[in-house]
Amino acid sequence: MPKPIIICVDDETLVLDSLKIELRKFFNNNCLYEFASSGEEGLEIVTDLEKEEPNSKKVVISDWWMPSMKGDEFLIAVHEKYPEITTIMLTGQASEAAIADVLEKANLHCCIRKPWEYEDLMHTIKQII
Amino acid sequence: MERRQLDLPKADILAVDDNPVNLRLLLQILTSKGYKVRPVPNGKLALSAAEAIPPDLILLDINMPEMDGYEVCQKLKENPKTTNIPVIFISAYNNAIDKVKAFGVGGVDYIPKPFQIEEVLVRVHNHLSIRILQKSLQKKNQNLQDTLEELKAAQTQLVQSEKMAALGQLIAGIAHEINTPLGAIRSSIGNIQDFLKQDLYYLSSFFNSLNNLEKEIITKLLKQANNQYNVLSSREKRKIKKKVISQLETQGIDDADSLADTIVDLGLSENLSVIIPLLKAQSGINIFNQIYRFYSLQKSADTIAIATNKAAKIVFALKTHARHDSAETKSSADIIQGIETVLTLYQNQIKQGVEVIKNYQSLPQIYCYPDELNQVWTNLIHNALQAMQYQGKLTIETLSNPQQIIVKITDNGQGISQDILPKIFQPFFTTKPPGEGSGLGLDIVKKIIDKHQATITVSSVPGNTTFKVFLPINNIH
Ligand SMILES: Nc1ncnc2c1ncn2[C@@H]1O[C@H](COP(=O)(O)OP(=O)(O)OP(=O)(O)O)[C@@H](O)[C@H]1O
Ligand SMILES: [Mg+2]
Repeated sequence: MPKPIIICVDDETLVLDSLKIELRKFFNNNCLYEFASSGEEGLEIVTDLEKEEPNSKKVVISDWWMPSMKGDEFLIAVHEKYPEITTIMLTGQASEAAIADVLEKANLHCCIRKPWEYEDLMHTIKQII
Repeated sequence: MERRQLDLPKADILAVDDNPVNLRLLLQILTSKGYKVRPVPNGKLALSAAEAIPPDLILLDINMPEMDGYEVCQKLKENPKTTNIPVIFISAYNNAIDKVKAFGVGGVDYIPKPFQIEEVLVRVHNHLSIRILQKSLQKKNQNLQDTLEELKAAQTQLVQSEKMAALGQLIAGIAHEINTPLGAIRSSIGNIQDFLKQDLYYLSSFFNSLNNLEKEIITKLLKQANNQYNVLSSREKRKIKKKVISQLETQGIDDADSLADTIVDLGLSENLSVIIPLLKAQSGINIFNQIYRFYSLQKSADTIAIATNKAAKIVFALKTHARHDSAETKSSADIIQGIETVLTLYQNQIKQGVEVIKNYQSLPQIYCYPDELNQVWTNLIHNALQAMQYQGKLTIETLSNPQQIIVKITDNGQGISQDILPKIFQPFFTTKPPGEGSGLGLDIVKKIIDKHQATITVSSVPGNTTFKVFLPINNIH
């Protein structure tokens, strides 16, 4: 079994750094982690990974409020191309309309609010992989 | 002139004459034409009758005992209740009427005695028509005034709801801007707590288990890892990681992908010659993970420091922006600080592809309404961002001379065409779709500018629009 891959997308480095430390602590070397600071870069990574590691289980965690491509747009795009990838939104602020939209169009697994709880987030991911 | 036959039903006329014959005659003439007539024999009664139920017209004899017609008329004009009632004087031929005095005390016309029936009717009719037209004008005027008041109230309400909408947007942005650092802080504190609870126990036994060479290597790597200033983008990191993975794999090291990740994070991709032998040794992975734990502790502490600063800055900006009471008095303020506050609040929209160029010449403090001026910068910057659709260049310049401070806000958006330029400061003038603009932004700006005895100018060509605000320096208090 190839290692599951967790892809985090947030325009704020502070968040990516924090997530990385948490993920490393919780999943150790049992997962691989990728980080992107925009939806565009996230899409690039997902596309690459689908080519390089087509058999890995993948989870995408994305912020909503980001420059240019918003989180909902990004997650919907991921879902349309790769419906087997699980999507999670991690956000400090998202309009209810946007969340409803992703729930429907990207089969959103869940929306976790910032500031998030370590245990919450990690167990949510663990269940998926 | 064509005399329009106005329908004057039941016009109420007060006839005043001490001569009962005359009075009866007037009564006869007028009632026969359908007027309602109230006859009174003297000035005193006339005044109380007019006051009780103001008539549409008064026919007033001049020569009366006790109180003559001039005096009655004067009293009628002094009373606000009766002042608008037209008064026609009646006078016998032999008592030549003092026209100047008659008009002077407020009469509108006079009829000589003995009466010519036709003349009485025509004059009465004319003045009643004028009176009725005047009344209807007054009524219309009142209606217009009421409508104006209502419009003003509606406008105030709109301004208020516009502010609320803007505030709502702002709050959403701020919720994001605060919750993001809070998330990072909470996560980092969790990491530090874990380290203190768990890693600390292993520490002494871990160090005891190391041989001298390993200790040396660890010290060296830790120094390296803590010194590196991590400025790589996620994209660059991925590139380096791929390289490291392939290098580790050619060395036959297991778990190359996870290890490479750590190596890149630690900034040790240039030190592979030291790391690879370590990873090949049995205890190597353990040592390596421990280095990462130290590194993450440092990272968490840094994250908290940065995140706290971010959150504090937002809260400060919000506080400065939100304190807004209308009874505010002028205070000494730093204009550049105000502009910076606004930029902080719009950070979310700005970082989406707007380059902000700041050309600040240092400015003296001035007496002003700081919060209201912040509203000016807010509206101008908001318009500029909208004009360039959040993609482009926003230039903010400040300069001063002994008389005034000048703030220039320039955007490279679509510009304002010459034909709408004169209208942009009007309330409700907008070219934006509903929901995006209500056309009040610049109206509010203008009001605040006027309050400061300042001036604002605008010049625009496509790709370059500049609003300039000139604030006087010497307006102390
Ligand atoms: N920097 C600018 N570039 C181009 N057009 C502008 C600029 N600033 C103002 N305008 C024009 O002036 C109009 C009036 O501006 P104003 O700020 O009063 O209202 P608005 O922006 O339309 O709505 P609101 O400010 O109430 O959200 C705008 O609709 C726009 O057409
Ligand atoms: Mg505006």
